[in-house]
Amino acid sequence: MKFDCIIIGGGISGLTAGIRCVKEGMHTAIISSGMSALHFSSGSIDVLGYLNNKVVYKPFEAIDTLTGTIAQHPYTKCGKPLIIEALQFFKQECETQNLYLYDNENINHFHVTALGTLKPTYFSQRSVFNEDVYNRFKKMKKIVIVNFEGYRDFHPQLAASQLKKQALFANCQIVAKSIEMPRLQDLTKHPHEFRSIDIARIFEDKENVYTIADAIRLAAEGADFVVIPAFMGIHNFNEIHNVMQSRTRLLIYEVPTLPPSILGLRIDNALKSRFAQLGGVYIAGDKVVRADYTNDVVQAVYTANHPENPLEAKFYILSTGSFFSGGMVSEFNNMYEPVFKLKLHYEPERSKWYSPQFFYSNSHPFLEYGVVTDENLRPYDSKDNIIQNVYCSGAILAHYNPIREGCGSGVAIGTAYKAANQIVSLYKLMR
Amino acid sequence: MIKLENISFDHCIKCTVCTIYCPVARVTHLYPGPKQSGPDTERLRIKNPELLDISLKYCSNCKRCEIACPSDVKIADIIQTAKWRYSKKEFRIRDFLLSRTDLMGTFGTMFSPIVNFFTHLGIVKFFLDFIFQIPKGRTFPNYASTTFKKWFKEKRKYQNKYLDKIVYFHGCYVNYNYPQLGKDVVKVLNALGKGVIITKEKCCGVPLIANGYIKKAQKHGRHNIRVLSKALPHEQAKIVSASSSCSLALKHEYPNLLELDNSPIANNIAYITQYVLEEFEKGNIPQLKALNYTVAYHSPCHLERMGNVAFTIELLRKIPGLTLKILHSECCGISGTYGFKNEYYAISLAVGSELFKIIEEAKPDFVVTDCETCKWQIEMNTKYKVVHPISLLAEALE
Amino acid sequence: MKTIETEVIIIGGGATGCGVLRDCTLRGIKAVLIEKNDIASGTTGRNHGLLHSGARYAVKDLESATECIQENRILKKIAWHCIEPTGGLFVTLPEDDPTYHNRLLEACKFAGIDAKEISVKKALEIEPNLNPNILSAIWVPDGTIDPFRLASANILDSVERGAFVFTHTEVERIMLKQNQVAGVQCYDKVAKEYFEVYAPIIVNASGVWGQHLCSTAGIELKMFPSKGSMVIIDYRINNVVVNRCRVPSDGDIIVPGDTVSLIGTTSRKIPYDKIEELVVDDDEIDVLLADGEKLIPNVSKARVLRAYCGVRPLVAVSGEMDGREISRGVVLIDHKERDNVQGLITIAGGKLMTYRLMAQMTTDLVAKRLENKNRCLTHKIPLPGSEKRVGYTKKIKYFSGIPNSVVGSTHYRHGERVHNILSLQKRNYGLICECEMVTLGEVEYAIKNLKVKDLVDLRRRTRIGMGPCQGELCAYRAAGLFTEFGEFTPDTSTKLLKDFLEERFKGMKPVLWGDGLREFEFTYWIYQGLFGLGLVEEEQ
Repeated sequence: MKFDCIIIGGGISGLTAGIRCVKEGMHTAIISSGMSALHFSSGSIDVLGYLNNKVVYKPFEAIDTLTGTIAQHPYTKCGKPLIIEALQFFKQECETQNLYLYDNENINHFHVTALGTLKPTYFSQRSVFNEDVYNRFKKMKKIVIVNFEGYRDFHPQLAASQLKKQALFANCQIVAKSIEMPRLQDLTKHPHEFRSIDIARIFEDKENVYTIADAIRLAAEGADFVVIPAFMGIHNFNEIHNVMQSRTRLLIYEVPTLPPSILGLRIDNALKSRFAQLGGVYIAGDKVVRADYTNDVVQAVYTANHPENPLEAKFYILSTGSFFSGGMVSEFNNMYEPVFKLKLHYEPERSKWYSPQFFYSNSHPFLEYGVVTDENLRPYDSKDNIIQNVYCSGAILAHYNPIREGCGSGVAIGTAYKAANQIVSLYKLMR
Repeated sequence: MIKLENISFDHCIKCTVCTIYCPVARVTHLYPGPKQSGPDTERLRIKNPELLDISLKYCSNCKRCEIACPSDVKIADIIQTAKWRYSKKEFRIRDFLLSRTDLMGTFGTMFSPIVNFFTHLGIVKFFLDFIFQIPKGRTFPNYASTTFKKWFKEKRKYQNKYLDKIVYFHGCYVNYNYPQLGKDVVKVLNALGKGVIITKEKCCGVPLIANGYIKKAQKHGRHNIRVLSKALPHEQAKIVSASSSCSLALKHEYPNLLELDNSPIANNIAYITQYVLEEFEKGNIPQLKALNYTVAYHSPCHLERMGNVAFTIELLRKIPGLTLKILHSECCGISGTYGFKNEYYAISLAVGSELFKIIEEAKPDFVVTDCETCKWQIEMNTKYKVVHPISLLAEALE
Repeated sequence: MKTIETEVIIIGGGATGCGVLRDCTLRGIKAVLIEKNDIASGTTGRNHGLLHSGARYAVKDLESATECIQENRILKKIAWHCIEPTGGLFVTLPEDDPTYHNRLLEACKFAGIDAKEISVKKALEIEPNLNPNILSAIWVPDGTIDPFRLASANILDSVERGAFVFTHTEVERIMLKQNQVAGVQCYDKVAKEYFEVYAPIIVNASGVWGQHLCSTAGIELKMFPSKGSMVIIDYRINNVVVNRCRVPSDGDIIVPGDTVSLIGTTSRKIPYDKIEELVVDDDEIDVLLADGEKLIPNVSKARVLRAYCGVRPLVAVSGEMDGREISRGVVLIDHKERDNVQGLITIAGGKLMTYRLMAQMTTDLVAKRLENKNRCLTHKIPLPGSEKRVGYTKKIKYFSGIPNSVVGSTHYRHGERVHNILSLQKRNYGLICECEMVTLGEVEYAIKNLKVKDLVDLRRRTRIGMGPCQGELCAYRAAGLFTEFGEFTPDTSTKLLKDFLEERFKGMKPVLWGDGLREFEFTYWIYQGLFGLGLVEEEQ
């Protein structure tokens, strides 16, 4: 099959690039070998949370500093204006699928984690940050953190205890509670796994929402704010949130949980349906295993399901992610990029891949390994030649640490947008 | 201790993504989910086969977990293998008959008017439910009066006028229930200038695997590999199938699950829409008349797993005048013989309910899908008729 | 300051110390055990879990071999739930000395070990994953033994019969009154307080740490620590123990242990002052994997889960200072005779398998000193969990309603005590650790009854975090339960979670590639990226 653009990797980066391309009339396919890291994410978009291990409050100003000092950082290759434009684009595309993202006007806001720590982020979903939440945060007197009996992946007492230590909540009473629900008791009778996805499906049923809301109102007893693990629906989350808040007359806040992340799943669903709505082709569960190149131009790619049938395109975007997504492969004493065998930035000595402790302050070096690219995000092959029609985006890129810097989704979106922009201009020229 | 080969469960990094996409775990809590039934407990079963949980029988082998898995774990294969390797072998006449499609098909076509009449009778259905545990709500497909093989015998000489030949693996559904689809395939291939060859094939083995008759499935597999490779006019010739499950079996289940060496035919097998689309893209596109229908396309689970859905959709887009609504990918619930068993019937309907709802919302003229068992499930549970993409293409060829 | 008076103080909670505690208790001797970390956290916990038939030693050390086979039979009776009598094979590879095979057979016969020569075809039937190119095979009654369960069962029995055990408590010094032991001064690291225990007899069962301990009493006990490294494969690649039929060397054994297989071992001398800073070297991993692959070819394709090392406490006996004639045999020192310090006894050396015999020898001496005439009963009375021998099938039937995999796993770990753990109450059998099937009921039981002070202790008692996910999903779940079932504050639980992840990381580091690196990246994303656990500050 022939396409104008083939995107290898269907996570947040691949989907952003795909939407951008397909909107401009390009016949675009995304090939994804399994579900993406969005399923474990916080569901918020981190632009830049930390610089030099210090919290960043104004991410765009910090990006200026960063682009001025770290030449190889993906943000430097994008430039601040493009990053801002990319984020706006992303927000608008999500809105077409009724997923609204809120920010605090160029300032990072903080979202609460399941352990009660606060993490800086830029865009969050309505149940995590919005004007109401922002206004009420400072004036809060009582917060109730609620868990559902039988859900093993959330311990409200741990969250309550940590949250109390934050300066913001110094004068606030924080209580941990657990509510029992008859419908849930029924489910836990059977020896099956019980995760966030199971409870989120219960919320999709309106009758249950009323019962749960009433139980929460009872447990809240005069609280301003109720914090629950992120369960409030996969598809109808806006409606469910509205019903919950109006029925309890309380502000209900969602906290991202151990995988699967319902907040992340909502973004994944929104991006996929937007891409399909615009006519994009999403090939799921298939893996690109080799590519045909002549003179630094890729002619076609072949997948595990179609080892002999080429998928051809004029342009390719590689957004295959990091090690856990299979974008990079590590072996006993080497690493490689499996699709195009691109030039990588990494230390050949394995003992240098990691730091001495799990929670080492400077994080782990392997998170910064990845594909080396030029300023246009085009990669090099093993002989140092630029591959003309391939662009790279997202976690496969080298020279940044998404966890230590708190910029994973920002880089994914920014670089995807940059890659797609270039392809779109070239495509228009060809027409 | 068994000989451990083709281990994929140790790639599992416990990400839990498969549990989100399992349609059975979504509707029933009797099934612990693909992660626990597959990679988690496989480690325990290797240690001691007594640690088999019977709840894994609820897995319908839709393979959506494998599509979702980012670590290349063959979850559904692990579960199917565990089912037949470790569970107690019990003989059930129902499972025996449901899996012997050649046997049932031969008998059914020989006596088709009687069989068709009786399988629709309320009292017979009640009896089947009571004695054999085949749900009385389930509609049985009709048997044709002649098999496709018999029809093709007469057409065989006409195929010789074509220089290029394609081997067609027609499968049991076309042979015993609906030869019209086979005729449509022949028509389409002939319109592309290709002649059709069929072989003395046996059932691909999918219902045998699903019911634990692995040795018999392997026998069928070896036979099919042999007759198909013998029929190839040359090494690069194609073997096409219009059934998503038969294609999956020939290409994937034979080597991965049945441990058969299908290398004589592995690179020749193509699902029909992929083959036809590739011919179209080469410029070999016959005249197509406009079909002014609004259709809703449902992607079968096994076709998703094979990565062929994009080809079917692309092919449908080539039919002029067609308004194509692509339904969100959902399992229909029947999962082959799974939906013909009382113990899974409610689950089967619950799984498909989401699909039935979106079909009703789409309000198409009819539904298009590649899989015959999906067709039975959708026709039974919605008011819409279901047509194979190739049949639609055949209609556009007039 | 708190003080306790007793008859015997046992320092060291390894297998030997636990065995002595039990033996004393069964003879009616009042005893207190003090362990500076957790039960079986020293050499015992770094063991490769082999229940020797003795064949390994038959050729060179007949005495050891005979002791082994006798203890092997006793343990199979009294500690069956800690043991899996898998059987074992000694295989000769094309590059090995073919004469060793016969020497082994002869030596086993002499030692009374039931070794049988079998055909290669039969060996491949017993272990289909074996290298098909082996030249010959010998079947031996090897098995596997879980050192954590064994030590823990000894402690449980003793405590239920009135003994006292202090874990996470370090003995700072042995107190002497002239040339007689008076007691010990200890520091409880959790409660952060000092206390003293007085007794006329002190048993030093502290293994390699004995050198430092004895120095506090002015006694020189020279240890020659030897590091042994092991690599764990994340699933069971073999079902019987596979030994290389050659003169014992590095990497010549693969032991199946519960749901994993262990390739061992190496032997590297290390200086005493480095015993707390052991790391597994790359060349050790290389040799273990390379040699392991020669026995079971699947090793090259399997995921390596962890690598860890332990210290063999080799002791010099009366005056040997240069480490050349150190025996791996049992060393029992009455310091009255050797150093003129009355009441101090050291028991060291030996191996896990012979712990009971070593404990018996020690307790015989202790009993003599205390003029206690009771006889040893440890070989007769079954350990808790091993009281009744009932197979899986019956247990699975008894607990029908709970999945077989859960019942089977719990029974495998706790034997008969499964009845104290599992109940048909829904919440009870919810899974905390999905890899190893550890239920909420089991975590509750362990926290309340098995001297669990942190997640690392919990892991030793229940196997939480020992499966492929290495704590990714279960660590957080279990941490919260410490607040619920233990008397831990939420802040402490959060800190324990952090400590546990650090501990798991230690064993992952040396083998951080492939799926192991992916697993770690994923776990790091969750605990640092999603939870911000690194941001949680330690309490001052």
